[in-house]
Amino acid sequence: MNKKTVVLTFLLAVVLAPLAAQQATEELKLKLPKPMFIGTPTNIKSANLEAVTGKSRGPFMVPAGTKLLSAKRPVTSSDSAPVIGELDMVNDGEKEGGDGYFIELGPGKQWVQIDLGAPYALHAILAWHYHSQARVYRDVVVQVSDNKDFLKGVQTIFNNDHDNSSGLGVGKDKEYIEVAEGRLIDPKGIKGRYVRMYSNGNTTNDLNHYVEIEVYGTPAK
Amino acid sequence: MNRTGFVARARRTAGSARTGHEAAARAVFVGVVLAALALALAFRLARADLRPMHHDEANQAVKFGELLETGDYRYDRHDHHGPTLYYLTLPAAWLRGQHTLASLDERTLRAVPALFGGGLLLLFLPLARGLGRPAVAAAAVLAAVSPGLTFYSRFFIQESLLVFFAVGFLIALGRFVEGRRASWAVCAGVFAGLAYATKETSIIVLPAALAAVVLASLATPSPRSVETAAARPEPPRIGIGALAAGAGAALLVTFVFYSSFFRHPGGLIESIRAFDVYLGRGVGAGPHTQPFDYYLRLLSYSSSGGLVWSEGVVIVLALVGLAAAAFARNAFWPRYVGLYTLIACAAFSAIRYKTPWNLLPFYAGAVLMAGYGTAALLGGVSSRAARTLVALALLLAVSQLAVQDWRANFRYPADPRNPYVYAHTVPDFLRLSRRVTDVAALHPDRTGMLVKVVAGPHEQWPIPWYLRGMTRVGYWVTAADAGRVDDAPVVIAAQDQAAAIGTALGDRYVEEFYGLRPDVILTVFIDRASWDRLLESRSGQTGTPAGAKGWP
Repeated sequence: MNKKTVVLTFLLAVVLAPLAAQQATEELKLKLPKPMFIGTPTNIKSANLEAVTGKSRGPFMVPAGTKLLSAKRPVTSSDSAPVIGELDMVNDGEKEGGDGYFIELGPGKQWVQIDLGAPYALHAILAWHYHSQARVYRDVVVQVSDNKDFLKGVQTIFNNDHDNSSGLGVGKDKEYIEVAEGRLIDPKGIKGRYVRMYSNGNTTNDLNHYVEIEVYGTPAK
Repeated sequence: MNRTGFVARARRTAGSARTGHEAAARAVFVGVVLAALALALAFRLARADLRPMHHDEANQAVKFGELLETGDYRYDRHDHHGPTLYYLTLPAAWLRGQHTLASLDERTLRAVPALFGGGLLLLFLPLARGLGRPAVAAAAVLAAVSPGLTFYSRFFIQESLLVFFAVGFLIALGRFVEGRRASWAVCAGVFAGLAYATKETSIIVLPAALAAVVLASLATPSPRSVETAAARPEPPRIGIGALAAGAGAALLVTFVFYSSFFRHPGGLIESIRAFDVYLGRGVGAGPHTQPFDYYLRLLSYSSSGGLVWSEGVVIVLALVGLAAAAFARNAFWPRYVGLYTLIACAAFSAIRYKTPWNLLPFYAGAVLMAGYGTAALLGGVSSRAARTLVALALLLAVSQLAVQDWRANFRYPADPRNPYVYAHTVPDFLRLSRRVTDVAALHPDRTGMLVKVVAGPHEQWPIPWYLRGMTRVGYWVTAADAGRVDDAPVVIAAQDQAAAIGTALGDRYVEEFYGLRPDVILTVFIDRASWDRLLESRSGQTGTPAGAKGWP
């Protein structure tokens, strides 16, 4: 084997190795509810707000074998007795925007938490707070941990609390307007058993709502 | 003991028993009304600062601040309604040691309508003579826990004062027609003057009471016995002297208030000229135009966002009361109050311009008729078991109202799903207010930090109230009017001006947005030096940072 062949073989290996190591991917199939409003009635524009295009977000690719993990799993919350709805509505698969499909938690900073039952590699989190009206929920923070009390091993995968008003650190993500297709968050394969989602009121009232949270992933290796 | 002595003793015993029963009944009545009053005041005064200030409240608060600071007030026929609210708020501010706009707070301002809203229950007491004690006691309980009456008694607007004066006029007028005593005419005149000096809609309320008293007198048959004579007034024969005394009292009170206690005599004429302004609003189309049945629908049933509201039980009981008044013999007072309620309701419903608080003047009458209906229901059943059942059903109805009262005023006080909430400032706006004061607290100029507001008149309020402690706040309608804006550490802009302001400021400013009212957003620009100071002050904090306390 001459020197030239060795170099070529090495270069080929360098190029092909990541491709070989990369898992096969597939499009995440989502079941979305019907939109409750069209456009952005408030015409909100801000540097700290995701632009609303009015178009679908397009396909989202996840590793092959990614499944919905959160359905019917135990849900806990900082407000254990919501005034409207029951906590198990957070992951009951019902995502419509109308009355009877959401829970309402008390004012100020509140969270809901889903126990996936075991640690998983997470590939997508899809959340709807309340999509029958154009509104922005404040201080949306999503964290993952293997500790049910989130006392250690806490990983933040989304944080748009740009002024640290919820005390969980300054977030760099942008705020967003609630729409029918929900907000898709990419956990980038982070592993964990518990998923906790915070919010701190919204632009219409000081309460916190959840229509549905879906967590997708694969078994942790 | 002979027979005569025995009979006399028996009569004395029976008389004593009646007196004892009467005393016990009176004690129960007073006890129920006082308990209802305590409940009403608790609902109306507790956590008065919980709800953000509505732009109308803020506007009036700033006007009151001028009176408080300068002692001067001048009636404006285009806005702000009558002067009583402002003058009657002065003692509340003085009592709390507040002498400037900056030192005022929501608890001081809202205490005044709250006290008048609670005081309305005491005004019901003289009606026990005409409607009966059970009716008045029931009405007091219903008024205490009515979500609508409570909600607008926690609002720094004229409505609860108007209702108080209108009911006072209603009672005094009825008593005058009954007894034709000049003192009642003067009393009615004073209440009429106060109502007129409170709000222009008194021009509907006062004639409604006058029409009702005439119709009730005509509709009540002539007495046929000595017993029934007391229950029915003589046909009104009103003396010129009494009439003049009543009219004079009304005119005097009106002039005192509208002339700003004789400082601006032209205020009285202005109050008359105001009807041209309000007539235009009342009949013209606009954003407040609503259908005829708006008030009744609002009270009867509404459902939004998982919440259901209804004061239908009051409406149903009022209908029972109206029916009982129509069929009862010699029922002058029930018919009088019932007719007032119907006429005022029809008049307010016929006007195209509607805001939900305008329902109060006739709804107070409906609550009284609901009390009469309650008494009729309880008196209409003979067996103890049936009466217990009716009483339990009524207790449930009152509980349902009380739960809604709590929800409307403490859980959802500014939530658009609450039917009593009308174009209200959203709680998100309080974040904006706190943001500006937090930035100012860290700025070298403190409360003298320059703030520029670029927004139309409708988007400016209630900013002046919330920034009342800052000495350099400027207001412009457009970015072009504002000129240079980068000399201000904080700029607040309406959405239609935000793009121009953002372009002018570039990336030297951090941009945020806050809700003002449903579907109305304000953009706040903060210079980076101020923003960095703010974040630095919060670094290392794990809980809610200073200046961003948990929401109420």
